[in-house]
Amino acid sequence: MKIYKMAWRNLWRRKRRTYITTLSIGFGVLLSATFTGMADDSYTKMIDTSAVMGLGHVTVEPRGYNETPALDKRIFNTYQVKDTILRIPGVKYANVRIMGQAMLASANKSIGGVFIGIDPGVETGEYNLFIRSIIEGQPFTDTDSRGSIVGNKVAEKLGIGINKKLVYTTTDVNGEIISEMARVTGIFETGVSEVDGSMILLPIDRVRATLSYGSADATLISVVIEDQRRASKMRNIINSAIGDPETEVLSWKETQSELASIISLDKAGNRIIQILLGLLIAAGILNTLLMSVMERTREFGVMMAVGMSPFTLFRLVIMESVWFGLLGLILGVIITSPWYAFLYYHGIDFSGMVGDDYSASGVLIDPLMKIRLFKESVVAIMAGVSTLTILSGIYPAWRAGMVPPVESLKTI
Amino acid sequence: MTSDQAIVRLEEASKIYREGKMEVRAVDSLSFEILKGDFATLCGPSGSGKTTVLNLIGGLDVPTSGRVFLEGQDIGLLTRSRISAIRRDRIGFVFQAYNLIPVMTAYENAEFVLTLQGVSVRECRDRVMAILKEVGLEGLEDRRPDEMSGGQQQRVAIARAIVTQPAIVLADEPTANIDSATADSLLSLMEKLNHESGVTFLFSTHDRRVMDRAHRIIRLLDGRIESDNVIN
Repeated sequence: MKIYKMAWRNLWRRKRRTYITTLSIGFGVLLSATFTGMADDSYTKMIDTSAVMGLGHVTVEPRGYNETPALDKRIFNTYQVKDTILRIPGVKYANVRIMGQAMLASANKSIGGVFIGIDPGVETGEYNLFIRSIIEGQPFTDTDSRGSIVGNKVAEKLGIGINKKLVYTTTDVNGEIISEMARVTGIFETGVSEVDGSMILLPIDRVRATLSYGSADATLISVVIEDQRRASKMRNIINSAIGDPETEVLSWKETQSELASIISLDKAGNRIIQILLGLLIAAGILNTLLMSVMERTREFGVMMAVGMSPFTLFRLVIMESVWFGLLGLILGVIITSPWYAFLYYHGIDFSGMVGDDYSASGVLIDPLMKIRLFKESVVAIMAGVSTLTILSGIYPAWRAGMVPPVESLKTI
Repeated sequence: MTSDQAIVRLEEASKIYREGKMEVRAVDSLSFEILKGDFATLCGPSGSGKTTVLNLIGGLDVPTSGRVFLEGQDIGLLTRSRISAIRRDRIGFVFQAYNLIPVMTAYENAEFVLTLQGVSVRECRDRVMAILKEVGLEGLEDRRPDEMSGGQQQRVAIARAIVTQPAIVLADEPTANIDSATADSLLSLMEKLNHESGVTFLFSTHDRRVMDRAHRIIRLLDGRIESDNVIN
């Protein structure tokens, strides 16, 4: 009889114990898939949301702009660069933007804020979160108009509404202080207080004129890619494609270092939970196999007496742990699938629990908790469970092979 | 005195166990030979060292002093894996408690050592079916140990021991757990295998019926040979 067949039959000597062990592995797979899937989904949403809120997954900007942003630093041939970027496979879209700080004032009040000059013809609701989040009014349509879209909290602080005027004051390309008037055409609400309380959108050509920029000048090109996980790779590809030493290409990890730190910290915490979970599962398998080995000491003695080598015995017990792993994985997939499908398609809505501000570090967080597992996460869970089960089998297997047959035969 | 026909040879073999601060001399400077074709028994009271001698010959244990040879090889000098291979290829074991593997059928138990030897499936089948027929288990191949009587299980154990055509079969109290009719039948079977196939048997037993059939009786007392008689 082949080792794998014998190991399989040995598994079913104590059916209840096998069911419980397999169930614990399966449950471990479910928990691991849930934690990992929630993390995969929420990180992606946070990164994607952060990307569409301003800088993209990859940002092309003048060298040194990231360290010391200033409106005198700019890229001159932005549309040509944008065309180059759009030809790269994996790039979803790219937007030329001018981003800067300004004092925002109404007749009664003034506050510090941030403006983004956008092209309304290109940045529709599909590509721009702020336009998608308009709750009152509508976007401006002309790139050279005096329209503006403001955050609801900006409007509230300045005491303005649709069709009301605001004045933004900033420094131009020469460092001169300049002011320009804009009329509110729309009000957005993203749910992120610091964004809604400081951000305004302006038509890009009007901003260019105000800042004395040339017709193709901008402070950045925000690039949104198909898969945020490839941001670093895409940064290098875009950098090579542009090949301009005066521009710098950065991934979101560099432009949004705070978000990257939060995600890293969260990932580390998640990893610790996964390790603890893995140790719990491993302890269960170890316990089962060890009990099973100790119960069969005499049988192992007989097997060795009739000529089975300690190594073959070791392989037999390892094979039993492999079976446990396989069964656990199969059961895990069976019980995880409906749960996964529910969370993937419907999710759980936590909006009632998180209040009005759905943000972390200025990034919008979706209060609808969904789940999405990347292929590599599935592989990691499968590999993790398989490795754990095999590792858990090593000690019992070694113990089985080390007992001298004459001692084993004495046991009852 | 040694013989070319000797399958087993013990030279001043001793085995001392330590129980707490006490030393127990289970086998004390034992020297004897088992010749090819022997149908011999080790007998003596409990604690006389019968099982220890079988364990030493079977390479399950090593002598504290002295030497044990199997087909001319000093077992004490062999590696663990080499001893495993010798047990697999040259020795058949029959235990008092049958010691079949419970998850295997009669066929699979009998086949077990052949698969360890790497014998082809087809050859395994031919040899196992022939041996099961010989031990009177034709038709019971698919039964698991818990579906067989003690006698049937011991027959499977004998089949497992002889299917590899070993140099010697070491049988430790093989009739202890079975009724007399079954014991007689099993002894007849082993006698037949000895006569017809030349399989060498060495028993350890208290059982009078085994001694009555043996061609040689080695009596042990306190780990030493009290007598060694060849029965004609």
